Amino acid sequence: MKRKRFIQSSFAAVSASFLPALPQFPVSDDETLFISPPALKTGDIIGITSPAGYITSEEIQSAVKKMESWGYKIKIGETIDKRDFTFGGTDEERTKDLQQMLDDPKIKAIMCARGGYGAVRIVDKLNWEKFKLKPKWMIGFSDVTVFHSHLNKNLGIASIHSKMCNSFPDDWSLAESIQIETIDSIQQALSGKKMRYIATPNSQNKLGTAEGVLIGGNLKTLETLAGTKSDINTTGKILFVEDTGEYMYNVDRMFWNLKRTGKLSQLKGLIVGGFKIKVDPDADDFGKTLHDVVLEKIKAYKYPVCFDFPVGHQKNNYALKCGVKHKLEVKTDFVSLKEI
Amino acid sequence: MIKIPPYLQKGDTIGLVCPAGLMPVEKVSECIRVINEDWGFTTKVGTTVGRQYHYFSGTDEERLEDFQHMLDDDNVKAILCARGGYGIGRIIDKIDFTNFKRNPKWIIGFSDVTVLHSHIYRNYYVSTLHAPMANAFNKEGYKNEFVQSLRHALEGKKIKYQVAPHEFNRKGEGIGELVGGNLALLAHLVGTGSDLKTKGRILFIEDVGEYLYNVDRMMYQLKRSGKLDKLAGLIVGGFTDMKDTEMPFGQTVHEIIRDAVTEYNYPVCFDFPVSHEKENYALKTGVGYKLKVGKSKVMLEE
Repeated sequence: MKRKRFIQSSFAAVSASFLPALPQFPVSDDETLFISPPALKTGDIIGITSPAGYITSEEIQSAVKKMESWGYKIKIGETIDKRDFTFGGTDEERTKDLQQMLDDPKIKAIMCARGGYGAVRIVDKLNWEKFKLKPKWMIGFSDVTVFHSHLNKNLGIASIHSKMCNSFPDDWSLAESIQIETIDSIQQALSGKKMRYIATPNSQNKLGTAEGVLIGGNLKTLETLAGTKSDINTTGKILFVEDTGEYMYNVDRMFWNLKRTGKLSQLKGLIVGGFKIKVDPDADDFGKTLHDVVLEKIKAYKYPVCFDFPVGHQKNNYALKCGVKHKLEVKTDFVSLKEI
Repeated sequence: MIKIPPYLQKGDTIGLVCPAGLMPVEKVSECIRVINEDWGFTTKVGTTVGRQYHYFSGTDEERLEDFQHMLDDDNVKAILCARGGYGIGRIIDKIDFTNFKRNPKWIIGFSDVTVLHSHIYRNYYVSTLHAPMANAFNKEGYKNEFVQSLRHALEGKKIKYQVAPHEFNRKGEGIGELVGGNLALLAHLVGTGSDLKTKGRILFIEDVGEYLYNVDRMMYQLKRSGKLDKLAGLIVGGFTDMKDTEMPFGQTVHEIIRDAVTEYNYPVCFDFPVSHEKENYALKTGVGYKLKVGKSKVMLEE
C-alpha cells in the first residue's frame, strides 16, 4: 500500500510540471493531491440540474432568487420540469444536461435541484475530462452522495454536501433561523470562506481531536456504492454519515457494511449526523440505540466520534466541503469542526 | 471441486437454530414433527429456538454459541436455520469454521441465511442448501413439492427442476456452479469478506418487500461491481410485495432486471420458484448445474 502510494505521488510530482491542475489517479489516498474548485465571484454562473428526481421550475424559484441575491447568475438546466416517471428526464436527458454543465467553462458551480434516486444510473455515462481540467463545485446531498464519492475516489476534486433547491423555503418570512443559516452556509462555502461548525455535545461522544480530509454522505447510498468504482476511500479521512427513513436493523447492517468493507479501521474521525429511524409497528424493538449500533463497531479504534452533528435530512443541515481538510475537536462540553 | 457434505441417512440428526430473528417454539413444532416422523431423521433443537432478545432470538453471544455448538457437534449432520430476519451479519465474523471445514455438514435456509451461503462459498468452498425454513412446514406446507425438495436434496437425490417459460426469458444454455440468494444481502455483502464470487457461475436472486428504485439501485451495484458481466446464467426468482414511491418508478421489477443484463448474452429466466413465498425449491449452492432456457420450458439440472 505504501509503495503504491509512493509511486502515485512521485508520478504526480513528475507530471505536475507539465499539467499543474491535473491530479493523477487514483488519488483518494493522498490528501495533498485533493484540489478545490475556484471560489465563486460576483457574477459567476451556477447551473441547476436534476440528475435524479423530477422537479418543477416553480419548486426551484426560491433557490434561484436566493442565489441571485448572493450576486450569482443562474442557468436553469433542461432537466428542470422534465419528467420520466420518478426521474427528472430519461437517463440520456439527465446525462446530457449535467454533461453540458460539466463542460461549459462559464458555469462555476452545479447545484443539483433535488435528490431522489437516479445519479448512479448516469455516473458511468458522464465524461469528466473537461471537469478535471477545470474543476467546479458540485452541490447537493442524499442521492448526490454518488457524485461526492465518485469525485473523492476517482478525481480528487472537492465538492459541497449541502441542501438543494427543494429545501429553500417559499416564504422566507416564515423560515426558522436555522433554515436561513444553513442555506447561507452554501454561499459561504461557494465564496471560499473557511468553514466552521459547532455541534451540541453528546454524552456518548468519544473525545479527541483529529485532522483529515472530510468525506461522506448518505449512508445507504455509500453502502450501495461498495465494490464499485465510486466506492468511497476512507483511509486517513474524517467520515460523516447521515440517513433517513431506514429501519434500525438496516442502519445496523449498513454500519456493519462500513466495518466489513474496511471503512472504519483507518479513519481519523467519525461524524454521525441525523438519523431518522423508521419504526416497524409489527416488529419487536431492535433493542439497541443508534449510539449502541455505532459504538460497538468502533470499540477497537481510538479516533474521536461525535453524534448529533448538524448534517442530514433535516433543517439543521449545513454545507460541508467534501475533499477538504478539516479539524474535528470533540470535547466534553464543546464539539467543533473547522476547515484548515 | 466444491466439497459436498455427506447426504443424510435415516436416523441422522438435523440441528435447528435461530441465528437471526426470533421464532416461537409453536411455529417450529410442525417442522420438528415432520422431520422426525415423516422424514425419518432426528432433530436436535438449539437453545435459540423459542428464545427472544428484543428483535433477535437471543443476544449475539447466545446466537453465536448455539450455532457454533451445532457446527462443532459431529453428530449433527445438517443445520436448519428455523427462520431468517436479520442478525447473521452481526455474528458471521465470530463463527469458527475450523471443524466445519474438516467435517462439512449441510447449512440450510434462505433470506438472511444468504450471508452464510455467500460466506461459506467464498471462504470454505463447501456446498450449502438454499431452501425453505421451518415456517414453510406449517399449515400442511410440508406436503408441497418445495418443502419436499429439501428432503430430496438432503437424501442426495440429484436436483432437476422444470419450470414454465416467461416472456422476458433469454434463451440459451449455461453451465456453472450455482450461487446466489437474497438480492439485498448479496448487494450488502459486496466488498466484504463474504462477498459472492459470480464469474462463470449461474447466479440466482430473489427478494421481498423492496422498493422498485432500490431493486434498480442494487442491480446497478451488482453490475458496477462486476458481478453480472461474466455470468453463465441468471435465474430470477420471486420478487414479491414490491413497493413503489409516490412518483412511480415507471418499470416493473422484471423490466428493471431485464434491462440491467440486456447487454450480456447468457441465458436468463424469470419467475423461477425461489422466493419468500411458497414457491421455493431447494438449491444446492456451489454445485455444478446446467441451466437450459428454451422456448417452451426452463430446466435447471444438477
